[in-house]
Amino acid sequence: MNLTSTTGGGPISGLPRPRRRRTDKAHRGITAAIFLSPTVLIIGLFTVVPMIMTIVISFHRWSMFTPITEMDFVGLDNYARLLSDSARVQAIANTGVYVLLSVVITVPLAFLIAMLLYFPRLRGRNIVRVILFATYVIPTIAIVIIWSNIYAPGYGPLSAMIQAIGITPPGWLSDPSWALVSLVIFNVWQMLGYYVILLVAGLTQIPEELYEAAKVDGAGIVRQTRSITIPMLSGSLVFVVLMTIINSIQVFDPIYLLTQGGPAGSTNVVSFEIQRSAFQYGQAGDASALAVSLFMLIVLVGVVLNAISKARKR
Amino acid sequence: MKKHTLLAGLGVAASVALVATGCSASGGSDDGSTEVTFLTHWGPDQVTMLEDAAAAFTEENPDITVKVQAVPFANLLSTLRTQGASADGPTIAGIYDAWLPELARDGLAAEAPSDVAKDVTDNWPSGVVNAATQEGALYGIPNEVDLYQLNYNTALFEEAGIAAPPATWDELLTAADAITATGDGRQGIGFITSWNSGAVHPFLSLLASNGGSFLNEAGDAADLESPEALETAELYQQLVDAGATNPAMSGANANTTGPYLDNFVNGKTGMIVMANWWESSLKDAMGDDFANVATAPIPVGPSGDVSSSISYSWDTIVNGNASDEKQAAAWKFLSWLNGPDSGENGSSAMGDMLISMGILPSRLSDVEAHAEALGSDFLSSYVAAMETATPFPTVLGASAGADALQRQIEALLNGQVDAATAMKTATADVDAALTAAR
Repeated sequence: MNLTSTTGGGPISGLPRPRRRRTDKAHRGITAAIFLSPTVLIIGLFTVVPMIMTIVISFHRWSMFTPITEMDFVGLDNYARLLSDSARVQAIANTGVYVLLSVVITVPLAFLIAMLLYFPRLRGRNIVRVILFATYVIPTIAIVIIWSNIYAPGYGPLSAMIQAIGITPPGWLSDPSWALVSLVIFNVWQMLGYYVILLVAGLTQIPEELYEAAKVDGAGIVRQTRSITIPMLSGSLVFVVLMTIINSIQVFDPIYLLTQGGPAGSTNVVSFEIQRSAFQYGQAGDASALAVSLFMLIVLVGVVLNAISKARKR
Repeated sequence: MKKHTLLAGLGVAASVALVATGCSASGGSDDGSTEVTFLTHWGPDQVTMLEDAAAAFTEENPDITVKVQAVPFANLLSTLRTQGASADGPTIAGIYDAWLPELARDGLAAEAPSDVAKDVTDNWPSGVVNAATQEGALYGIPNEVDLYQLNYNTALFEEAGIAAPPATWDELLTAADAITATGDGRQGIGFITSWNSGAVHPFLSLLASNGGSFLNEAGDAADLESPEALETAELYQQLVDAGATNPAMSGANANTTGPYLDNFVNGKTGMIVMANWWESSLKDAMGDDFANVATAPIPVGPSGDVSSSISYSWDTIVNGNASDEKQAAAWKFLSWLNGPDSGENGSSAMGDMLISMGILPSRLSDVEAHAEALGSDFLSSYVAAMETATPFPTVLGASAGADALQRQIEALLNGQVDAATAMKTATADVDAALTAAR
């Protein structure tokens, strides 16, 4: 026997690891697999499989009136058309402008409102939070009915108010120069409450002692905001920026309900173009190529923001 | 382990059973009857009429029942795309004829049996039959036909000192300027924006009345850089430059709600180019003031000889993926529904339903049976226009092409581009849309 003796009755080095431990680990693995399998199965069936199918379809020409087995392989043709079709180029540009405006307006505004709702010890601030959040909870279709009247030219309240101060109101949804901006305003109004709640939640995580110490050192509100609030809230802010970008890239409901991409294609965005390609024109391959591109764009934005966030932490 | 195997086996068996049940496409039920589904975009009143007609048919044919499935117009095509490919999808569908090329190509629209095809060929106008025909085969039974005419407000005309509706483009410009000059925030003429058919059909009607056309004769390329098309775009530009049309007052959607309707019914818009089926919306919105609405042919352009409206029709098709039994039952029902014995006074039941919506029926005997209703001040001009109408092309990609043209019409109306640029860009975009669809 070539055994190495040990002291203290511990395991003998050089011997195989006890069979029981490996069996335990295997059991744990099986148990975990059993418990996770329903989730994995559901995610696989309803998320991964459709994603793979979308990628596959994007390389094919397929009319949705025919079985999926009757697709024709067209290689990268559908992707090539993304940049050669003027409507799609306009849709991509409109999406970019919509996202940019949404982020530039929503994030600072949400931050400001969150600060105003968190720091001053005012009565009724919780009610204000609930009211703000309500715009996010109400279904878009219900809100659209109200906003289509708010934006009505001539007799709408917005136009009436502007007329009352002697300014000629624009055609909010009928003027190509204004239609996208009007939709951004709608988006800001609808989503603001959600982001405010996220930022208020972030503010609650900042230790009160930091502000007290800063006050002792003579720091004013601006200095406290710049040196404590913003750095300590950076995680929440990055998340809010990411969510604003993702939600804005995916915008569909108000465009479908209010403008149908018009006038003159000024509110046609990528998600609406996907719907139109697939369900109006029956070009599922084109629509899938657009969808895959949109997904890649969202992933790219997520990666960039994540990298920025990590770099800031370092 | 045995328990797991048993559970897994049961799960698989249940799944297979569910899938088998879900995929079954039997033509009939256990009692030998056949149920067919009729997909339509009609409103509640017409759906009730259709259900009554279906019940009357079932009384005569107890082995066939018809179930009506109604969706909004905007969702009709998407519903067909998601449900039509299945054998258990809608058996019958009312479709816009521009969709037919794709539906026929993909086998969703079944070719009509020879007796149905003969009946349609014998009893419908040839233009409407052609719109329901693809490569020599008939794919559906036409029902409604729609045209565009000039609607104008006689009270505003009187106030502006205009005695008669414009018959030419020069007269149109004069009338539009005169009405705009009456002030009070009025526009001489309104053109729909934000709704593709509403924007494109009036433009193409003016183009047809100027001797031009949307596509070339083969239907495979745009014909929008022709002198006639350029003149039509220039007419729009002149109206915009003169302030006689205001796109801010003309936003609309497929239900014609919104500023376009509001401004016309409230006397803010003097003239519009609109379809016959709009009559009921106008009546509802205007009440007694509807008496001020008159209709006239599309004004003729400098290069045109005759007023010509764009026309389009709707067809009822049968799902080519349905079982033979269901298809046969569907054709039987449609022949009865569109036949001269199912309605009142020699009209078909379909004709009665269409007239109730202010829509022109296309079966010749229906037109005759409803001569009195079709002879109303509002509709008679539309009926007369059928003779010289220009059918909207039913070729692959025409719908996408119309969207491309719509973008340029709206850009022109908003002063973003000039007439020549709009037509040049539209030509390129329409050609691309036609190519992509083939």
